[in-house]
Amino acid sequence: MARDILPVADRQQVRAYARRLTLKYPRQLSVALALHGLAAVAGLVVPALLGSLVEDVQHGAEVNVVWVAVGIAAFLLLQGVLVRYAVLASSRLGERVLAELREEFVDRVLALPLSTVERAGSGDLITRTSRDVDSLSRTVRHAVPETLIALVTFVITIGALLLVSPLLMLPMLLAGPVIAISTRWYLRRARDGYLRENAAYADLTEGLAETVEGARAVEALGLQQRRRDRADRDIARSFAAERYTLGLRTVWYPAVELGYVIPVVAALLVGGLFYTSGWVTLAQVTTATLYAQQLIDPLDRFLMWIDELQVGAASMARLLGVANVGDDRQAGDARPAGELLEASEVRYAYREGRDVLHGVSLTVRPGERLAMVGPSGAGKSTLGRLLAGIHGPRSGSVKVGGVPLVELPLDDLRGHVALVTQEHHLFKGSLRDNLLIARPGASDADVRKALGAVDALDWVLALTDGLDTAVGSGGLTVSPAQAQQLALARLVLADPHTLVLDEATSLIDPRAARNLERSLAAVLEGRTVIAIAHRLHTAHDADRVAVVEGGRISELGSHDELVAAGGSYAALWSSWHGGAEPDPDHRPA
Amino acid sequence: MRSLPEADPGLPDLRGPLRFLWWNARRQGGPLLVGIGYAILWWLVQALMPAALGQGIEAVTAKDTGALLLWSAVLLGLGLVQALAGIMRHRMAVYNWLAAAYRTVQLTTRQSARLGATLPKRLSTGEVVSVGNSDIAHIGSSMDILLRGTGAVVAIVTVTVILISTSLPLGLLVLFGVPLMAVAVGPLLRPLHRRQRHQRELTGELSTRAADIVAGLRVLRGIGGEQVFSERYRDESQRVRHAGVRVATIESVLEGAQIVLPGLLIAVVTGVGASFAVAGQIPTGQLVAFYLYAVFLIGPMRTLTEAADKLTKGHVAAGRVIRILSIDPEMAGGSGQSKGGVLRDPASGVTVRPGTLTAVASGVPDEAIAIADRLGRYADGDVTFGDAELSTLPLAEVRSRILVADNGARLFNGRLRDELDIRGEATDDEIWQALDTACATDIVEALPDGLDAEVSEAGREFSGGQQQRLRLARALLADPEVLILVEPTSAVDAHSEARIAERLAKARAGRTTLVCTTSPLVLDHTDHVIHVHDGRVRAEGPHRRLLDSSPDYAATVTRGED
Repeated sequence: MARDILPVADRQQVRAYARRLTLKYPRQLSVALALHGLAAVAGLVVPALLGSLVEDVQHGAEVNVVWVAVGIAAFLLLQGVLVRYAVLASSRLGERVLAELREEFVDRVLALPLSTVERAGSGDLITRTSRDVDSLSRTVRHAVPETLIALVTFVITIGALLLVSPLLMLPMLLAGPVIAISTRWYLRRARDGYLRENAAYADLTEGLAETVEGARAVEALGLQQRRRDRADRDIARSFAAERYTLGLRTVWYPAVELGYVIPVVAALLVGGLFYTSGWVTLAQVTTATLYAQQLIDPLDRFLMWIDELQVGAASMARLLGVANVGDDRQAGDARPAGELLEASEVRYAYREGRDVLHGVSLTVRPGERLAMVGPSGAGKSTLGRLLAGIHGPRSGSVKVGGVPLVELPLDDLRGHVALVTQEHHLFKGSLRDNLLIARPGASDADVRKALGAVDALDWVLALTDGLDTAVGSGGLTVSPAQAQQLALARLVLADPHTLVLDEATSLIDPRAARNLERSLAAVLEGRTVIAIAHRLHTAHDADRVAVVEGGRISELGSHDELVAAGGSYAALWSSWHGGAEPDPDHRPA
Repeated sequence: MRSLPEADPGLPDLRGPLRFLWWNARRQGGPLLVGIGYAILWWLVQALMPAALGQGIEAVTAKDTGALLLWSAVLLGLGLVQALAGIMRHRMAVYNWLAAAYRTVQLTTRQSARLGATLPKRLSTGEVVSVGNSDIAHIGSSMDILLRGTGAVVAIVTVTVILISTSLPLGLLVLFGVPLMAVAVGPLLRPLHRRQRHQRELTGELSTRAADIVAGLRVLRGIGGEQVFSERYRDESQRVRHAGVRVATIESVLEGAQIVLPGLLIAVVTGVGASFAVAGQIPTGQLVAFYLYAVFLIGPMRTLTEAADKLTKGHVAAGRVIRILSIDPEMAGGSGQSKGGVLRDPASGVTVRPGTLTAVASGVPDEAIAIADRLGRYADGDVTFGDAELSTLPLAEVRSRILVADNGARLFNGRLRDELDIRGEATDDEIWQALDTACATDIVEALPDGLDAEVSEAGREFSGGQQQRLRLARALLADPEVLILVEPTSAVDAHSEARIAERLAKARAGRTTLVCTTSPLVLDHTDHVIHVHDGRVRAEGPHRRLLDSSPDYAATVTRGED
């Protein structure tokens, strides 16, 4: 159930983009093609030499064998040198285009609207950045140049054949329909077949990865047989997919190979008959036959790579599609007057007709600390995202200082509200880099202060390299709890007026979390904090508590008020605290 | 073509990479030999083509229409045989590739399942996963290349014999020239491989960077920093580009050399042939055949280079695979029996009475985990189960009777119903019952296909709290005699946690359950709480009594509440 939420570009877009890329560097492209063309021409001289040699020997003309050998060697040497520079030129161009392709893609990813990023999850996007970029690299590095070179060589060889004898060209045309019809038949089926094959293969390796990563769970739950069966099932499916494409090739390969041999036989047979009739010379027959033989290589290369072009086009469609996500906010000109955060009659649905928030109204005063508690699925996180301006409500409004959040330009919004979730990501780089994302100009003193606010300064300074310690993929592995601390420190540096914390301390040891929240509160004095929490002490320490149940705010008030009110919060609190509801047998001393 | 996979992959020879490859080859000996046969036929037919074409040209020069027709027919016939032998060879090559690759997947899967909890201690995940990503392909290729490689040797020998029978010096020239040309590009390969490795490393780093950006996109879009990351990516991307050009600098020389080197051979062979023809030693048509032989030899020559490369890679891959296959599980069981009963860990003093819901509360989570691991026999300890030593029981029996469910236990991909009900015996009612206990019904109800939903990326589709609740439901459905839950509600909100604790007590009524937790919401619903400090039992009793009597305990579970 891989969710393909991001759009895919259509055929026209892909074509237009490919055309633009191809023609972007006309000089480099023509140089590369010209070199390949010249190399092909040099390669065609040898059969011509051989043809006249046969003619000369046959007619007893004077032949200097040394010169023949030197001539052949010279032209092949020339061809070799030309190929060298041709390959280099096309690789240079290919690498350049490829770099642009992936850089543009990453820029498009970095410009994705916030609401899409929050909703799409990263699965689809990760596949695009890894698998699709890889597959496009293969296409641009190999398939595109190979097919282009093959095409150039093919056309030039045909041209040479026509020069030698248009008459001998005719019988070769027989091969055309054989190759064209079988290739058409094949290509119509190949793409889906190979996509299925790749998907089955990916399932197979993913299944193995799962068994490995979950090895302990496999043992604990006695899943050994299941994992074996799963692997065998994946293999059977992969084999079926392989068999299908193998079947396609079983038809196509022999047909194409027959298409290769037809011109050679035709050139020899018809050429021989024409020679007997005196319509062509012996040299022409020999050269034409050798050219027919020499046509096989470019043709074969071309046919072998065209389905890779299809795969590359599919990847490109997915990479370009990222740009098709419409912008989610239309910035207006109004600027907020003040920091009062106001939600009124807010409704929101992820899916048509299924509201998860049913008319929520809430006013958060500047500088207030509000805790949201409630069972999972009640809509706390959704409300948090609306209050952070990530999504706009379906109806109702969320405003800061009188201006709807979704009408603020992104940069302005960040100054007013920021959201930190329990998702904690550390980028590859130094600890300092990770924190400076929020405020690139911050001094080390600021960074230390922010770390101090989240109780992280001690362990960071205890690291050998301190703030320069490399973290993220390949660097020091910090615990999820530490990563959450750093995410919060980042937020402290960003210093927005309102902070929405969605379970932002959930991975930190409960007691440490409480300390952290207290020191954070001290630093954030005067800032508005909305904390979605599953631990009750967060609620206890807040100015007000909102209990969210079933998409509504069912209770709202200070901790003491809610406990006194005796609602669901009070019940929970007594169970948590253990002391509020006196136990008849064990009365506190 | 027999269907794959094999029902039983067999017992591999692990005495060395070569023996492992040889064992693989023997497992698929039949298809391999048939494939080699087709490959030889395929190459031989190609080797005979120049001769037929030479005869054809000869017939043309002699204006002998009969011979021309004959040789044209032979040529066409050879073309047909080549096409048929070619496709059969290809089919067998694919089959052999797949058979070896699939067998390696089967072996690695079976071994990973066998190792279980030992695996993460002895091997890095990446190491084993890379078997699936690259090693199986290399092992497959090492089988595949045996077909074409053997055929290439036969083809080269055939052409050499044909040439020797025409002219001894010419034959010898080819015999020594071909390997010489193959070796001549050798000096290029080392720097090429070095630059390729460098390029691969940079490419790897670049993809890591891209994945990093995607994984942290929420942060970047939420707080800022896009510009910085865009520039970093651009810098690295340009580095990959230049590394690519550096590779191409050598690769292009190699491409050129692969034309020039055989070109020299072609020139010499053709020159010698021409001198024979001029001297009238061979017919003119044969001259064309000589030229074509020399051109043809490029093919098998390249195949031999390819074979050396693929066999080397296969050898390395086989080495990695046997390292994994050679490991044995750490824990072993005996053949004893136990009627069950009290589960006791002398090292800590923890005693779990049958039929109760007991809790272990420790301020240091690792201490509780160590106890759970000993009680579940994931670590050695003098644990007793009823009147028997736990270590004397068969391990499989221990696993099925005592289930340690921790937060590292992953949810596997598949139909949700199957992944929750791992015994495959539960009714829908029972599954919903377990989901209800774990407060997880809302998760399943939100899925378009409910219990029949195919979950492909549990880790990405469900939040941490959702995964935890689903895992709990799975553990409950396994319904073991003793269920040990490690921090089962750490990522769940307080409301749900309270409900889960209450329902858990009912769901496990009469069964033995141990919960490692410090949450008062859970502890409040247990029958008996064991407070552990410094790895030893400090106090025991019902939650509320401990709250009153033990300040240490109260501090641990109320987290320094005012």
